[in-house]
Amino acid sequence: MPRLVRTQREMEGRFEDVWVLVDPDDDLETWPADADLALVGRPAVRQDGALRVTGDARYTGDIQLPGMLHAAVLRSPVAHGRVTRLDVGAARALPGVRAVIAPDTSVGFGGDPLLASETEYAGQPIAAVAGDTPEAAAAAVDALRLGIEALPHVVDPDEALREQRFTKEPSETVRGDVDAAFAAADVVVELEIETPAHLQTALEPHGAVAHWEGEELTAWVSTQGMFDARAELARRFSLPRESVRVITEFVGGGFGAKQGAGVEAILAAELARVTRRPVRLVNDRHAEQLDGGRRSWTRQTVKLGARVDGGLVAVESAAVISMGLGGWVFPVNQPALNLYAVEHARGMEFPLRTNLRAHNAFRAPGVTEGVTVFEQAVDELALALGIDPLELRRLNHVERDQQSGLPYSSKHLLACYDRAAELSGWAQRETLRGPQADGLLRGMGCATQIWWGGGGPPAHATIRLDASGHALVTTGIQDIGTGTLTTARIVAAEELGLPLDRVRVIGGDTRANVYAPVSGGSMTTPAVMPAVRSAAGKVRRTLLELASDVLEIAADDLAVRDGRIRSRDGGLDVPVTEVTEKLGHATIDGSGARGPNPDGFRVHTFGCQIAQVAVDAALGEVRVERVVAVHDVGRIVNPLGASSQAEGGVLQGVAYALSEELVIDPTTGVPVNASLDDYKLPTIADVPEIVIEFVNVPDPNLPNIGAKGLGEPPIVPTAAAVANAFAHATGRRCRALPMTRARVLEALRGAEGEGEGEASLAPTEALQ
Amino acid sequence: MRIALHVNEETYELDLPPRRRLVDVLRDDLGLTGTKVGCAEGACGACAVLLDGRPVASCLLLAAAAEGHAVTTIEGLSRDGLTALQEAFVAEDALQCGYCTPGQIVSASALLAGTAHPTREEIRDAMAGNLCRCGAYPKIERAILLASGQEVA
Repeated sequence: MPRLVRTQREMEGRFEDVWVLVDPDDDLETWPADADLALVGRPAVRQDGALRVTGDARYTGDIQLPGMLHAAVLRSPVAHGRVTRLDVGAARALPGVRAVIAPDTSVGFGGDPLLASETEYAGQPIAAVAGDTPEAAAAAVDALRLGIEALPHVVDPDEALREQRFTKEPSETVRGDVDAAFAAADVVVELEIETPAHLQTALEPHGAVAHWEGEELTAWVSTQGMFDARAELARRFSLPRESVRVITEFVGGGFGAKQGAGVEAILAAELARVTRRPVRLVNDRHAEQLDGGRRSWTRQTVKLGARVDGGLVAVESAAVISMGLGGWVFPVNQPALNLYAVEHARGMEFPLRTNLRAHNAFRAPGVTEGVTVFEQAVDELALALGIDPLELRRLNHVERDQQSGLPYSSKHLLACYDRAAELSGWAQRETLRGPQADGLLRGMGCATQIWWGGGGPPAHATIRLDASGHALVTTGIQDIGTGTLTTARIVAAEELGLPLDRVRVIGGDTRANVYAPVSGGSMTTPAVMPAVRSAAGKVRRTLLELASDVLEIAADDLAVRDGRIRSRDGGLDVPVTEVTEKLGHATIDGSGARGPNPDGFRVHTFGCQIAQVAVDAALGEVRVERVVAVHDVGRIVNPLGASSQAEGGVLQGVAYALSEELVIDPTTGVPVNASLDDYKLPTIADVPEIVIEFVNVPDPNLPNIGAKGLGEPPIVPTAAAVANAFAHATGRRCRALPMTRARVLEALRGAEGEGEGEASLAPTEALQ
Repeated sequence: MRIALHVNEETYELDLPPRRRLVDVLRDDLGLTGTKVGCAEGACGACAVLLDGRPVASCLLLAAAAEGHAVTTIEGLSRDGLTALQEAFVAEDALQCGYCTPGQIVSASALLAGTAHPTREEIRDAMAGNLCRCGAYPKIERAILLASGQEVA
């Protein structure tokens, strides 16, 4: 019998207590590392690959409904302003314009206002319109003839700091006696580095199509959390959530930015409600870059104290974060507090309130920023101590979470170090630094990855096996491109004993009411796959019971694999359909629920990346030549999809280090590069050689699969590894990322007099 | 204005606002939504189509300017089932979210039509105008090599 139990649930480092349904019949032993598996661990192509290469995959903006209107949004051109004029009547009177909603329009939904008459960032929505054509909607926006009085703004973090503008009080996390430990340390290093505002820039912008039928709302939403979108729309429009259906079949990337319904779906639903017509609202690129989301700019000051033998004795990290209008303070100091063994540690956060959109999640939020700076400081310490950087990391390895004191559920970081060193040629890295025929400076740097990724309940799945021997797996997954539907297909087929092509997994629709969590926090694989396997286990057991009826052999003596039922003594070997065809129109159904993670552990993912760079000291150009990425994320279900995830994370990390930065004009407070021309995403021509490997050992403490999440870990250490490689090559560090030519030349100018082009490795600051 | 467009070997007589862009006609008027809009300013390549066999950004082209030319979209390339190139994209997992994929296939098709066995450098040169935020680039390169019958390491 199912029971309800209290358990702790983790999402990107935040813990909450939740009630969870637990069914003892869902329990299956985790496949051991050496289990003889037919499909899990073998590369599989995407279930929906053909749809994606032919253009048949339908994304939100591709939805067209009869009578559908096109929406457009008027946005603030200034960082802070008061609307003085808005010709709503003139806009509404244009031919083909069906609705105009503005801050003072009486709108039929509750909650925080979505349209502002006093705007607090450039790009903030002021009004929304719906017209018969995109052209009519655009004309309506023009006809509003916005007048806006600019008010003082603050986008400069130093100004915000001087004025003590915080989204919440600065906070401090301390353990031990940090000051005394620094005083007693043999060596102390300190490093201050700025990290850039970094835009998710999914190629498909945020968007939604809303359609009312009576009191029922159907919304196609480009989101990472369709169940959150459902809850949000139900709340906004005072509907029971059963009356809201959210469809999210294909999403053109999210990277953290697409949470819940978003402003787009709520405005589309409101415009559809007042016009009684379906409405499509898709952000244009400029709006997306201004208001789609952002990883915050930070300035971090990291101080490390160590003994001469390399043992860390004290860590301090102070993070100034330009939050915009607010949002969660992501765990920037988490790496400083937890990455290595250290008794005395202090983390301080200063979340600044600036005239920018509230920041939001971007792939491993907080920890990527934190590792990017902290791991550079660790390299400075290695230099000051004269210890190999990788060796210093090994020396300070931990088996327990430093903040809670709890052991890790599994951790194979040392194996990652060893393998990454081997694959990168780490032992010969000093030979890179000699004179090079091409005149470039070369270097190699490493960095450690930490992140969560253990998943947890609630997550569910149902499976229906039919007479033809095909299984339909229903999940609440919204596959934003990570391939999780295919992962579910592999897991279900393995447990059912069917070939992959006899299993189809559906997701992307809340109508079935089979819940999965948001596609974020590296949660989907560890949360949903155990539920899928549990559901499949029930169907398999029923199938073998029925086989026992038909074949007159005890179910315990039967097994199913590759679509065939075999007796354990080898005497019988029949296709599954031998049994299922007798079902007629009946089906074998099973459902599974994700059980809780065991108490007494912290679940994390780990890894090590090593980058090799070449620096043109004359031009200030840095090219990443090679990145080796070795990660421990437990069991790998689909090595093909996993390598894709890791390559993508590495590339985003390389660009975070070298090219991506939202530049804000301090005078106007307006971003100047909110377009794909000027915001420099990497292209295929920027790709280094990337070598991916996984430790691939199942976590024995995670339910039934032993897999952790992989969406976020690969981006975490890349920028730090690149920056460390640059420092190895040049003996210098850029005080701010990305390492543009200007910043590189500035950093190298500091090296003049020490012999241009020669990599003289003076520690940037050795205080004692 | 009335124009005749030749798309995927079909002729369409259309009455359009003069300023309507080719991408909007393809997507909204002809329902050919395989062509995507990523930026609408010629910077991302998601809207790539072939104009007389040459890849162009359909967001930068007025529909009227396409009159008298043969337009081929991703749907046109897929008419007879998956091409070797599309099969290679699936086999190599040369896509993640898939939003840029039609544009990638269109550009790669044009490359292979002109250069049967492109080098890695030629691939990087020809494909640099097609952004992929998921970072499928290493596998896109492999897929193009594979589809052109070349060794993939």
